[in-house]
Amino acid sequence: MVALRWLIQTVIALGTNAYLLFPWGSVIYQGPLKAICHPGLNCYSCPGALLSCPVGAVQNFVASLRYYTPGSIPHLGAMVVGYLGFIGTLVGRLPCGWLCPFGFIQDLLNMIPFPKFNLWAPLKWVKYGVLVAMVLLMPFFLLDQYGLGQPWFCKLLCPAGTLLGALPLLGLKPALWTTVGFYFWNKFTILVLIIVLAMFISRPFCRILCPLGAFYSLFSRITLVQLEFIQGNCVECRACVRVCPTGVSPYQQRDSRECIMCLKCMDSCQFQALNFGLRRPLPAPKESAGHT
Amino acid sequence: MPKTAIWLVIIFTVLFILGINTGDLEYLMNLGNTICLSCIGVG
Repeated sequence: MVALRWLIQTVIALGTNAYLLFPWGSVIYQGPLKAICHPGLNCYSCPGALLSCPVGAVQNFVASLRYYTPGSIPHLGAMVVGYLGFIGTLVGRLPCGWLCPFGFIQDLLNMIPFPKFNLWAPLKWVKYGVLVAMVLLMPFFLLDQYGLGQPWFCKLLCPAGTLLGALPLLGLKPALWTTVGFYFWNKFTILVLIIVLAMFISRPFCRILCPLGAFYSLFSRITLVQLEFIQGNCVECRACVRVCPTGVSPYQQRDSRECIMCLKCMDSCQFQALNFGLRRPLPAPKESAGHT
Repeated sequence: MPKTAIWLVIIFTVLFILGINTGDLEYLMNLGNTICLSCIGVG
């Protein structure tokens, strides 16, 4: 399963960034595939990107609501919300573990043999604040000096945009260097911090800051698929806890919002106490003897 | 599959179709075809 996940992560990361004509033609891909969102975080300004970024798309839809004129059809971003909600309802955070290119990059960084540390658990709540504040509220309410709503998550925070979009574009178009300022250096610093952190802590961005992971995690308790725990087989050896990249205890926490369904825990379990499959309905509660 | 999930699948499918029919597809394509200055950190 581990090899399969690596293979899928590699294929998706390369396959969705497969536009190779940027040195000769348009500096970014400008074709019909850009009407589709990536299920993971992948900057659409990456020179190779074939798909759009769902987080960037949502912010731009929200910002565009400010310019709604009566009589026209408002762009609510219903297509993107429907798309992401559909994925979330079916598989929860599985795209984080299997499809997200930036998650894959963090996985690779974490393979560098440095000492590993646990993440302070309360930090996991920050990503919900990022989702609500930077993706949903700020693009509508916080205007720039020209009175325009901005995708503030992309502008202030997104390290995937810096790594996959900004740096390659600045390399390809050196003239852009004259236009960058505080926002770039702020994001560049965040990117460096995330890269360094990822060598010591598994998937720090996904666990602390990612608004897409936060959105998908809202569906963790009702997804179509689930990681099933078979109580009778568990000997509490904690092998699953040691391999979990997001600090979940699969034998204690069912349907954790932090679980990215990478299935490392299932692979590590020698006693078949974990199984991945379709969610089965919970057994009906037994009626107590004294119930009237 | 829990009933909640079935309802959510239906709601999100309707939202998706609604979005396609209100021009989200074209909006998204136009958006994706321009370089995102915010992503670069211009400003």
